[in-house]
Amino acid sequence: MTTEKKALIKVDGLYKYFGSNHVLKGISAEIDAGEVVVVIGPSGSGKSTFLRCLNLLEEPTYGEVWLENKLVTPVDPYLHPDVIELSKTFQSLFAAEKAKNTGETDEEIKAALTAKIKAEDLLNEKHEGKAYKSLMKKIYSENYINVNLARQKIGMVFQQFNLFANLSIMDNITLAPVKLLKLSKQEAEERAKTLLERIGLADKAGAYPSQLSGGQKQRIAIVRALAMNPDVMLFDEPTSALDPEMVGEVLEVMKELAKEGMTMVVVTHEMGFAREVGTRVIFIDEGVIQEENTPEAFFTAPKSPRLRDFLSKVL
Amino acid sequence: MKDWFADIAAQFKLNFIDGNRWQWLAEGFKTTLIIAFFATVLGICIGVLIATIRSTYDKTGESLKKRGGAGVKIFGLADRICKLYLTVIRGTPMVVQLLIMYFIIFKSSTRGTLVAIISFGINSGAYVAEIFRGGIMSVDNGQFEAGRSLGFNYIQTMVYIVIPQMFKIVLPTLCNEFIVLLKETSVAGYVGIRDLTKAGDLIRGRTFSAFMPLIAVALIYLVVVVILTKLVGILERRLRKSDH
Repeated sequence: MTTEKKALIKVDGLYKYFGSNHVLKGISAEIDAGEVVVVIGPSGSGKSTFLRCLNLLEEPTYGEVWLENKLVTPVDPYLHPDVIELSKTFQSLFAAEKAKNTGETDEEIKAALTAKIKAEDLLNEKHEGKAYKSLMKKIYSENYINVNLARQKIGMVFQQFNLFANLSIMDNITLAPVKLLKLSKQEAEERAKTLLERIGLADKAGAYPSQLSGGQKQRIAIVRALAMNPDVMLFDEPTSALDPEMVGEVLEVMKELAKEGMTMVVVTHEMGFAREVGTRVIFIDEGVIQEENTPEAFFTAPKSPRLRDFLSKVL
Repeated sequence: MKDWFADIAAQFKLNFIDGNRWQWLAEGFKTTLIIAFFATVLGICIGVLIATIRSTYDKTGESLKKRGGAGVKIFGLADRICKLYLTVIRGTPMVVQLLIMYFIIFKSSTRGTLVAIISFGINSGAYVAEIFRGGIMSVDNGQFEAGRSLGFNYIQTMVYIVIPQMFKIVLPTLCNEFIVLLKETSVAGYVGIRDLTKAGDLIRGRTFSAFMPLIAVALIYLVVVVILTKLVGILERRLRKSDH
């Protein structure tokens, strides 16, 4: 069950439904170490949901997310042909097809049935047998990573900053390293100070979030995530809630991070950032990836008409 | 005018000095404070428990349901029991609850004060639970998400981030709830407990003069409530100050 290529994050067949609202309709992507992947798309296209599925702030309806070859989400049976073939649903359908004796080979029938079961969502855990369940369990237990542990390795920066309102800036940054990484208070504070100095906010260590400007808050939020030494950073429209004059300072910090080789997934409307810093740009619309390419090709030679239309409006 | 003063003095002597009747009030006041204090403690315990179950179920129930299993069923049942408790307690008068407790549930008990503490505690718990739950819900969900995104589990996120913010929001409301509770204990006399109100009424029955004892009782409640309200005010200002 290991993936051949060592992607840092691997997303497979991701679907997300909010009731009857189908936000993501089958997204697969791989993010390698060192990449800066910029995700763009119109509002409501599902790009933020996609990002939030990566660290399971939203639980995908179907699909799997892998972090460093470890399974973050539950097992999605539809992604594993061997699981489907073990199911009672499959076996009864298979027997019925065989009885018809249409002259198709077993392999052909299997392929057709697998596709049919996938498309119509026919597997129901309650109705399936023990063998099916134990296989699902086995796949999961052999591959999973605890979601809280996974989140320690995935830093996240929010549109609304979400600094802890009840804690000082210093405590905001040191809380997680002290409680989760078991650093000593002193060690964590030293690290926090170094990080704060880098973004030029060392003098704000004792301040509270409500005393800071939006740009300062967002830079602190980035530092708070960095203090956990994550392997990848997710940015969910980090500059969308900022006054225009403060956008620059936040983007500057992000650029530095990218330069240092941090793996980043950035959902943004900042096309300049995408072009300048991104190593790959993904265009999501109507819940699917419409196009992905290097920034140059993406902006100068868009292939799909939908992207051309989108770019003509935002550039 | 002189007669009037003399009359007042005589009344005062009759109601409070003769037969050391002021001691009845003192004893009653003590009982009232004991009931109010321990009912408050019990109310907070019940309130925290109920609010924890209800808000945890609200926040995580959906994703638990998807996973299935026995745990979610027990959890769902607990949530429904909590809802039933809230509906019954908040939907019936305190006096009726007290009467039922004293004459039906703890029929054989002779410890009236203890029964009163339990009744008032259970009653207060329902209101405290909703105050806490409202407080938890009013903390911005972004705070919760930020905690989870750093790798804290549900309980850690609640303990380090959400509950400290919740307390700040609910503390004044909570204090007011206890002021209300203190006054509400005045119905304890219904089941023969000699609280402050009952003591005043007993004096009235003995001396056949209503004015002095009842006004005295009212004044004692008023003074205590005014003092508590002042304390809540100071507390509220303090909290606002640390609210940068």
